[in-house]
Amino acid sequence: MSREHKAGISRSYVESADIVIIGNGIAGLTAAVEARRLDPDARIVIITDQCHPTINTPALKQFATGKLEREQLLAYPAGTEREQRIHVIQAHVESINAQGKYLCLEGGGGFGYGSLLIATGSKPNGLPVGTPGRDFDGVLTLHRLADYLDLRRRLVEVGHAVVIGGGAHAIETVMGLLSWGITVHWLVRSATIMPRVLDQPASSLVLEHIQRAGAKIYLETEVAGIVGRVGVVAGVITNQNQLIPCQLVLVCTGTRPNAALARHCTEPMLCKNGILVDDHLRTSVRDIYAAGDVAALKNPQTGSYEPRAQWYSAVLEGRIAAAAMTGQSERESSSFGVPWHATHLGELSMLTVGNPLHWSDEITSLTDSSKGSYRLMALAGDRLVGYLSLGPKQPDSLAIKRIIDEGLPVGSIKKALLKGTLDARAYLSQRRSEAAHDLVTTGKLPDLVPVASTGKGAPIVRVLSTTASLPAAAAPVPMPGIKQGQAAAQAGQTARLPETGPLRAAAAPVPVPIPVPAPASRYTAPLAVVESEEISPFTGNLPAAAKPQTAVGASSGRRPSPSPQQRAQSQGASPARGRSSSAQKLLPASAKLPAINVNSRGKRPLRNLWSYSEKRPVFQSGTGGR
Amino acid sequence: MRDSVLLHKTGPQVAQELQACIGCNECLLACPALAEPITIDVLNRETLSGPISKPVARYARACYQCGACVAPCPVGLHRDAMMMWLKVRLLRSGREE
Repeated sequence: MSREHKAGISRSYVESADIVIIGNGIAGLTAAVEARRLDPDARIVIITDQCHPTINTPALKQFATGKLEREQLLAYPAGTEREQRIHVIQAHVESINAQGKYLCLEGGGGFGYGSLLIATGSKPNGLPVGTPGRDFDGVLTLHRLADYLDLRRRLVEVGHAVVIGGGAHAIETVMGLLSWGITVHWLVRSATIMPRVLDQPASSLVLEHIQRAGAKIYLETEVAGIVGRVGVVAGVITNQNQLIPCQLVLVCTGTRPNAALARHCTEPMLCKNGILVDDHLRTSVRDIYAAGDVAALKNPQTGSYEPRAQWYSAVLEGRIAAAAMTGQSERESSSFGVPWHATHLGELSMLTVGNPLHWSDEITSLTDSSKGSYRLMALAGDRLVGYLSLGPKQPDSLAIKRIIDEGLPVGSIKKALLKGTLDARAYLSQRRSEAAHDLVTTGKLPDLVPVASTGKGAPIVRVLSTTASLPAAAAPVPMPGIKQGQAAAQAGQTARLPETGPLRAAAAPVPVPIPVPAPASRYTAPLAVVESEEISPFTGNLPAAAKPQTAVGASSGRRPSPSPQQRAQSQGASPARGRSSSAQKLLPASAKLPAINVNSRGKRPLRNLWSYSEKRPVFQSGTGGR
Repeated sequence: MRDSVLLHKTGPQVAQELQACIGCNECLLACPALAEPITIDVLNRETLSGPISKPVARYARACYQCGACVAPCPVGLHRDAMMMWLKVRLLRSGREE
């Protein structure tokens, strides 16, 4: 514990903390920063055995090929931890005592926690254990910064390299090496690449592309052994009895969740291909959460639990975990939605959203291949459930994710989607206008039907929700919306009543009752938030019908999008915002607001929405002081 | 093809895009207006919230929304919209001073 003394922090601080996060990957640090924002007084500690600050791991490929410098890898500006009063301890956590709520650190010593986030990430699969020669110098498994530093140093003296693995990681590595003028031999175990994501034509298109870029591709080929000379790689022997001379062997055979702590926990933690978590990232053990590559989330389309080893989902999970750990889940409006992966495979941009493949019969698939691109859409009636795009241009990937997440009808844009010419901004703003029109004319929020969110993994869901509801019942903070738990959802509803009550009173002239969300609408609620937020006259998407009625719209012309707080200051009246206290303070004035606005804002999801955009007001006040 | 593109994305959308940024710097490498060494972490942070530092402010003013940053993004994000957001923030903070 001498390290902490050096840092000048009292022992009482060090020995336990309200929020303890294991791992300083992007999920861990995002959770810490977000927790600090939500709870300015919490003691937050990150315990990590990584010797460098949080970096943009997807950018390591660019780093390896010399496009970036080390300093450009930082995910957060240097000093963020200190600025946010996040204490970072370098130690290895060996086990968790869930009854006593403390961690056992390597080399003795414990550390107490109020709530614990496991964000230990993943570890590489590497070569099979028995592979001869896997320890020669020049055989690198690419995963961490150290591996890429090693690769970068070696690149200058390499003429031939062998890349092993059939995933996006391997392709990116191949392309990086090719850009250095290295002859690349790429060994792929199966006949196609990424069989879970790409179908046959897509796979051939990618392979063709990479071949044209100059790589030598060996399909259905595995490594039988690596030969070396005086401890250094000299070549690779394949199972096709071929010897490929090379100076470098790069192993990109995928990763698996680093879930050792789940096995070293005094209470059984559900863990299967990652630590199983619910929508609030709670594990099956009380007060323990998991986020990032280590967490296995439920796929809303298939109902199965799988880790999402992607940057964006790790960020999102970090945020949601922070909200859950600080007991403010209801303020976090993000939801995971469907899996989403966008990357460059050489010159090709690949995007997969949802589940484009492996559907049963009721799903229609449309494909389009033209001009060296390929697109595949899976449609359930009028709704998109999966989208795969390969081509020179990356579509508006997050917009397509949103279309799937929200189950928006795509009948009118089917062709544009298929051709890859979708103007997502125009489409979404049109959708918003329509939704706003409905909202104004009927006073009801638009119906958002979740796509294929029927849980097929019912057994495991039940296990999780029952275990998770136990702490929720005992905890002082009500945690609403545990999956299908209707009782829990209702409990959350009643807990919120004091806040929504006054708002309803203010909206007295409107006869339309506040539409109570149907039970089990956990999936739809956050989506409704996004949808209705953007109706705001301040986002420039003011529907024609709403214009004369919205009093706050009067000043919207001046500024493209003022923050809610500014609005509150300039108008003295504002729709209810994230903070219930300020909403109540402003209530008398808000009585003169259009009834529909107040009515809809009084509904729970809209409160979430404003909390989502609350970061703007926060910095606003910061800049104002300058 | 229509050429009219909405430059402005809404706040939550910009925040979402910033979160999805993998920090590969491809947009900055393609940018013709970037004249100072600005790292992506600082740019993202200051686009989202907090005070805007001098170099980033200069960069935001220099950005003329040519859109060269959009095509290289492996993740399909719109740095032009983020820069627009930064410009808006810059204007606002200037007004408050």
